[in-house]
Amino acid sequence: MSEATVTLISSDKQKFQVSKKVAEKSVLIKNLISDMNQDDDDDDEEEMNIPVPNVRAAVLQKVIEWAEHHKDTNFPDVDDEDTRKSTPVDEWDKKFLEVDQEMLYEIILAANYMNIRPLLDAGCKIVAEMIRGKSPDEIRKIFNIDNDFTPEEEAAIKRENEWAEDR
Amino acid sequence: MSLPHPDDLQETWAFIEPSLYKILGTDDDSDGVTPDEYMSSYTAVYNYCVSRSKGGSTYRSSTNSILLIGSEIYARLKNFLTNYVLQLTKRPDETFLQFYVRRWRRYTIGAGYLNNVFDYMNRYWVSKERSDGRRDIYDVNTLALLTWRENMFDINCNILVAEILEQIRLHRLKQQNSPALLTHSIKSFVMLGIDIQDLKKPNLGIYIDKFEKQYLINTIEFYNTESNEYLKTHNLIDYMKRAEHRIADETSFATNFLDERSRRPLLETVCKSLIENHAPVMYEEFERLLQQDQFSDINRMYLLMQKVQSSLDPLARKFEGYIKSEGLMKIDNMDINDDNKGDRPVRKAPPKVLATDQQKKLYIKTLIAVYTKFVSIVEKAFNNDLLFVKALDNACRGFINKNSVASPPGYKGTSKTPEYLAKYTDLLMRKNARENDVSSDMSEDDVMTIFKFITDKDAFESHYRKLLAKRLIYGTSMSVDTEESIISRLQKENSVQYTSKMTKMFQDMKASTDLQAAFAQYVENKPNKKEILDDFNVYVLAETMWPFSAFKHEFSLPKELMPTYDALESLYNEKHTGRQLKWIWNLCRGEIKANISKPGKPPFILTMTLFQMAIILRFNEQDTYTFAELVDILKLPEEYVSGNLAPLIKYKLLNQSPPDAAKIGETSTKFTVVKEYRSKRMRVNFASNIKIEQKQELEETTKEIEQGREMFLQACIVRIMKARKQLKHVLLVNEVIQQSHTRFKAQVSDIKKAIENLIEREYLRRVDSDTYEYVA
Repeated sequence: MSEATVTLISSDKQKFQVSKKVAEKSVLIKNLISDMNQDDDDDDEEEMNIPVPNVRAAVLQKVIEWAEHHKDTNFPDVDDEDTRKSTPVDEWDKKFLEVDQEMLYEIILAANYMNIRPLLDAGCKIVAEMIRGKSPDEIRKIFNIDNDFTPEEEAAIKRENEWAEDR
Repeated sequence: MSLPHPDDLQETWAFIEPSLYKILGTDDDSDGVTPDEYMSSYTAVYNYCVSRSKGGSTYRSSTNSILLIGSEIYARLKNFLTNYVLQLTKRPDETFLQFYVRRWRRYTIGAGYLNNVFDYMNRYWVSKERSDGRRDIYDVNTLALLTWRENMFDINCNILVAEILEQIRLHRLKQQNSPALLTHSIKSFVMLGIDIQDLKKPNLGIYIDKFEKQYLINTIEFYNTESNEYLKTHNLIDYMKRAEHRIADETSFATNFLDERSRRPLLETVCKSLIENHAPVMYEEFERLLQQDQFSDINRMYLLMQKVQSSLDPLARKFEGYIKSEGLMKIDNMDINDDNKGDRPVRKAPPKVLATDQQKKLYIKTLIAVYTKFVSIVEKAFNNDLLFVKALDNACRGFINKNSVASPPGYKGTSKTPEYLAKYTDLLMRKNARENDVSSDMSEDDVMTIFKFITDKDAFESHYRKLLAKRLIYGTSMSVDTEESIISRLQKENSVQYTSKMTKMFQDMKASTDLQAAFAQYVENKPNKKEILDDFNVYVLAETMWPFSAFKHEFSLPKELMPTYDALESLYNEKHTGRQLKWIWNLCRGEIKANISKPGKPPFILTMTLFQMAIILRFNEQDTYTFAELVDILKLPEEYVSGNLAPLIKYKLLNQSPPDAAKIGETSTKFTVVKEYRSKRMRVNFASNIKIEQKQELEETTKEIEQGREMFLQACIVRIMKARKQLKHVLLVNEVIQQSHTRFKAQVSDIKKAIENLIEREYLRRVDSDTYEYVA
């Protein structure tokens, strides 16, 4: 028996044929497949076409690449927040997420949308690493953020958060 | 199909609503939702939640909490579900139950889909709201179930339960079968039991309140009616089979259709209706089944009653009573005329005292037969249930210790069973001269079986020890190994203390053998060696261990034996200074070679008591003595002299003149030895059947037992008081009874007497009217 596959369709209508197991790394897809197969029990399932209307092909491609790599990985339970927070980012994931900021951002969004918790976690940790130890100005520069605070507001915030400064 | 504007709720809702209908099931259920619609709906909800949330300007630094979007679309969904459930209608061709189950099944599947389509809302908005303490917001699946509960279940609960119970009734009557209806409808009660405080916690409140209660009442009614009807037309055996089937039916019903927790209450209810309510009839039938040896039916009854533990106790009590009365009856009807071929009428008044060994054996055998019979019933019919093992033990203890033989009407002493058992053991252990061995159908196991049930264990010990002592000193024991094996079994069954005297007796026997060997060497160097007997046995026995007491009367040992006596005493005193030897003359026996045969025939060997020897030896010197002369020579009390003379006269070794038996003890009565003795046997025993001794013996044993008990109780009380210092009367009495039960059943009056005695001797004193204190 050949491995069951599904076809994912990106927002720009590009088709990706992937194994069911890989696609099911996304809880959204997994739920959908199980829901769709629930009522019609005829198991000669014709191949399912699943649109993923919020993700463009380039990003979907990356997400699938990640899912392929982690096909057999056992991730900690979703409810086990402590373990999820404390485990460092997997080395392969680090390399995999060495992309430009726009792409990183889109991958995180896609992971959130498709409910792929480990990928979302990894993305967020990478972003957190980028912030760690930086001054507000440096952070603004990295993320290309305009400073829209007035000097008074900025002073007030600094006062409020004084405890966090000066290690 | 293009997605709606993310920030427009109206447009978003309008976009997803048709798909939601498809998900929950339209009335004709024509087409389901497609992957496209599914994904579009999910994406629309996602976009709606995300777009407004990231709208930046909604939060300012003063509030640190993030504002998530969801409440409006949640309200829409809630409203939608309510309307959806309310518009569901029953088809004219289906029962309410069919409608309910059909819709319920479809709805719960749909609720699962909806939960996934609204997953993004669940994941962020709902979980945030709940962690902020909102208890009226639920994940979509729960929301759907609660909506069903409110708008379908609560409203129609009565009709639903009524129709389910009707289905169960039909199921029980095996008339109609739609198991799926039952499975799903009953399961809905479980699924709707949602604890709104903790959604993950299973909650059977609804199932129990709305369904189980009614169901159990219904079950009682059903089986009460059914069992009563059935018993009117069937016998009890058929009824029990029926009940077995019914219980099996209900067990499998519970497994297949009910929540696990109902299993126990259901079976309890069924068993109460089928078993407990009809227990009196079964108790009545029980005795008849026992009489007819219907073990498989008894077993069936037992297995049924076992399901209601409380109904088993009366059954065990019945059983106990039955064994007891059967035991008593078997003893009453015991045919003590051992030749069974007799034409004598079997029925006769029960004997007061068993005279012969055969009768005593028969008595013990009867006890064992009853026990053995019921042991096998306990095994076959009651699967060796402890309750019934105990009932058997109690019954045996009852009839074995107290029955028409052990304590005949009017008899006040301790039970005679221990005495008879000791005798039985003696028969088993003794060498038997005759060929047809009486002990062939007896065994140690028999002894131990009865021993276990004897209350007066101390009485058995006394009687047993007495018989053992005789076996030992007369050398009539069959084998030392068997003797020791019995003693070690008694010890195991009771205590080391219990057998300590018997163990010591064996040690004395061994020591005596050593002494005798030493004596043989000792005399080698004696100048009067020739005058000392070389073929005799002497036993040195510790006075308190053996059931013999020293001979209390004067006795003049015949001069022929004096050198041996002197040598032995001096040897013993040499070895053990400070020990005192007392002689038990009345137990001594000897053999005499008498040259009074016809000329040319070998001499007779006469077995005699020492006293008889002392008499007969004097006839070497003259042929005739008067009674007064004999008393003077022997220095014995007159009744010993006459008692020992009687067999000599009876077996015609001496002639009495005048010959009147009543005049044997008169001063002037003369005794003359025969010139020539006639007997078919070469060996003649004069020593047995000397009356005075036997009578005394029994009295002594009884006295010894009583004394033993007194001592035991006193020692016991002192031990307890020494440990406790102060104790209330009742507590002391209870503890004494408890400590003495392995030996005998202590009477309260005896304990009181022992306490009084100890107070007098200043071991104890009274503190107040019911408290004692130990005096150091």
